[in-house]
Amino acid sequence: MIQPLSGIQNTVAALDAERTRLDVISENIANANTTHGVDGKPYQRKVVVFESAMQQAMGAGGNGSMTPQLHVARIDTDKRAPLEIYAPGNPDADARGMVATPNINIHEEMADLIAASRAFEANLAVVKNEKSMAMQTLSIGKH
Amino acid sequence: MIDGLFNNPSYLAAKKTLDAVAVRQEAIANNIANLETPGYKRVDLSPNFRAELDRAVSSGDAQQIDSLKPSLSVDTNAVAMSQDGNTVNLENEMMQLNQNTLAHTLETQMVSSLLMRLKMAITGKSS
Repeated sequence: MIQPLSGIQNTVAALDAERTRLDVISENIANANTTHGVDGKPYQRKVVVFESAMQQAMGAGGNGSMTPQLHVARIDTDKRAPLEIYAPGNPDADARGMVATPNINIHEEMADLIAASRAFEANLAVVKNEKSMAMQTLSIGKH
Repeated sequence: MIDGLFNNPSYLAAKKTLDAVAVRQEAIANNIANLETPGYKRVDLSPNFRAELDRAVSSGDAQQIDSLKPSLSVDTNAVAMSQDGNTVNLENEMMQLNQNTLAHTLETQMVSSLLMRLKMAITGKSS
């Protein structure tokens, strides 16, 4: 089959992985104050673990060179201990009046959010470029 | 196929450069996709392709130009900017990406104009 947009499989894989990362970051931010999760414990911060697998390049070169393709290996939970704050009025407070809250640093999450969205944008720029190049290639011989 | 029509060295050279641009685009796309892969080393068009093309074009041998094959290789000159050993620099890659797109425009127009010239010679009409 002819592939006019050759060599962007890895870009698409990276876009997919970055989107997963963005989803996980937004989940972390949304649950920054969840003291009582589904399991009754405070929310544990989640982290995306990226992994690259070798992918045979079948693109323009057709040279069979190996290029690593990015994908999400797993979504792990951050093992940091929950943060204890004194709030005796909270229904989740223990006998000492301490409430275990998720150990989420909003600044850290925001920095990650920006890094992920920039990486996403960069990959999107590649797709746009690739498309305009394919259009030009298709118009060879026209005037 | 009438091979004689398309054996013009400059046409073949333009075609080969277009191939090289496509391979390079693939390299840059891969580099950007692996922006955050620990230990990833950036790839690029093999540095000796340019020298080989130069040599083939100056020899004027159509067969020699046609036998060239652009390929990817790891860029050994790139220096890791971060602790994880990744040698991709986003700003540099974006610059290369835009440069490559312009080079592609140039080459497609070159190939087009060479074909148009051929058509003009065959038909005797200018459009």
